[in-house]
Order: sequence, then C-alpha cells, then structure tokens
Amino acid sequence: MRVFENTCTFDYSWANVSVANWRKYCAWNTQSTHVIAVDTLDRTVDPHTGILRSERLITCKQNAPRWLLKLTGSEVSYVREVSEVDVRNKTVTLRSVNLTGSNIVSVSETVVYSPHPDAPDTKTLFTQDASITAYGAFSRICNAVEEWSVERFGQNAQKGRMGFEAVLEMSAKAFRDMKEGNKEEA
Amino acid sequence: MSASLAPECSERKERYDTCFINWYSEKYLRGSTAPSPECEALFKEYKTCLNAALKEKGIYDMIKEARKTSPNGGSGGAA
Repeated sequence: MRVFENTCTFDYSWANVSVANWRKYCAWNTQSTHVIAVDTLDRTVDPHTGILRSERLITCKQNAPRWLLKLTGSEVSYVREVSEVDVRNKTVTLRSVNLTGSNIVSVSETVVYSPHPDAPDTKTLFTQDASITAYGAFSRICNAVEEWSVERFGQNAQKGRMGFEAVLEMSAKAFRDMKEGNKEEA
Repeated sequence: MSASLAPECSERKERYDTCFINWYSEKYLRGSTAPSPECEALFKEYKTCLNAALKEKGIYDMIKEARKTSPNGGSGGAA
C-alpha cells in the first residue's frame, strides 16, 4: 500500500470554493482532461442535520502503459464518489473509490474543503489523502502497479489543482460581471 | 458543466445541473436546506435516462455492489 497526501490553500472563501467544486470538471478546467464525464447518481438532504449527500459517477479515460492496460482491460475507468456538504460546520468531504480495475489496484481518496484557520472568511484549506493498494500474486507486479498509480495520481492531483484554480477564477469573474450587470440595470 | 457518460442524457443533465447549482448557491448555502421540488423533478427525468444507460453499459450492477460494501460511500480504505 502507498499513501498520497497533499494540502493546499485556495484564496477564495469556503462558500465560493464549495460552489465551484460542483463545476470542477467543466470546460473551464482544461487540465483534468482524464475526466470525461461526471454524473449524479443520487442526492439527498438530511432534514435534521442539513447535510447534503451526493453520489456521483466519474468517468475517466487515461492512457496507461500497455502492460497495465493488459491487466485492467480498458482505458475507461469509473470512480464512485460520495460527498457530504455540512453547511452548518462548513465542510465539504468527498470520498471516492474506483469501481473498475479494483481487483488489480484499489485507489481510495478523501478530500476535505474547510475554511482556513488563519483566514476563515477569505481562504479555504484543501486536504487530500489517498491510499493505493495493488493486488496480485507477484510482488514485483504489485510494486510496479502501485508505483505507476502513485505517480499518475500525483500528476492528476497537480493538474486538478491548476484546473480548479481556473474554475475558481472564472466563477469569481462571472459573479462580478453579474453583480456589475445588475448595478447597471438598476 | 461536465458531460454525461451517456450523450443522450446530456440535455437533461444540464437542465438539472443548472437548477441544482442555483439552488445550492442561492438557497442551500444561505441556510434554506429544504430540497427544491423543481430540481427534484428535473433530477427524476435525468435519472431515468441515466439509469437506462448505466444498465446498458453494465455499470449499474457495479454501483449496486459498491453501495452494499460501502453504504456510506468510499470508506473503502479509510474504514
């Protein structure tokens, strides 16, 4: 098993980040090209806690080395993500696990967005951790699968961050334009 | 917004996504957490289309299986 951990700060409020999170893989994100579709499977609000729970299916397509494709059988993979937004405590938690190829390698990731302790109104803390485990009879193959997966996971995480920054910027701009438009109309 | 894995559902998905994000930013984040009947109706339409596509692609059973093993979603390695 390998562990991947990462934290970073976004210079936007938690509310802005939590809205943009739903648009993370839209056309404004030109970096995360491995995500080709995001579908919502289920969504509920707990009437007592106000927690919004969403279940999504993320479709990925990424080129992998031929030896790995032989093991997994396909370039397209599916990830199931369950997220919870706790609006009272201001946290977004996303947990995801791969549905396909999970007999070869299991990647489970947890991401949390929360107000940054140093600047809770203007900055958001992002924490990401993932555990990657390859299954197989031969430890050499397991090691190779895990090494490739960790490397690719790290690359995708970096692209995800850059892509998300672009989405945040565009969202903020769209919001400003909307407000200015409203002012002009008034 | 992002695409649907089933192109035939993309229009319905977009209508639902737009409704959801408006509800999320204008109601939910401001403390009105009750679901929007309008969005729920659009979600039902989108879900009908999506579930048919998931069954056709053989993904539906995989999802059902995953729900059984991790009902709270992806606690997989974390639990």
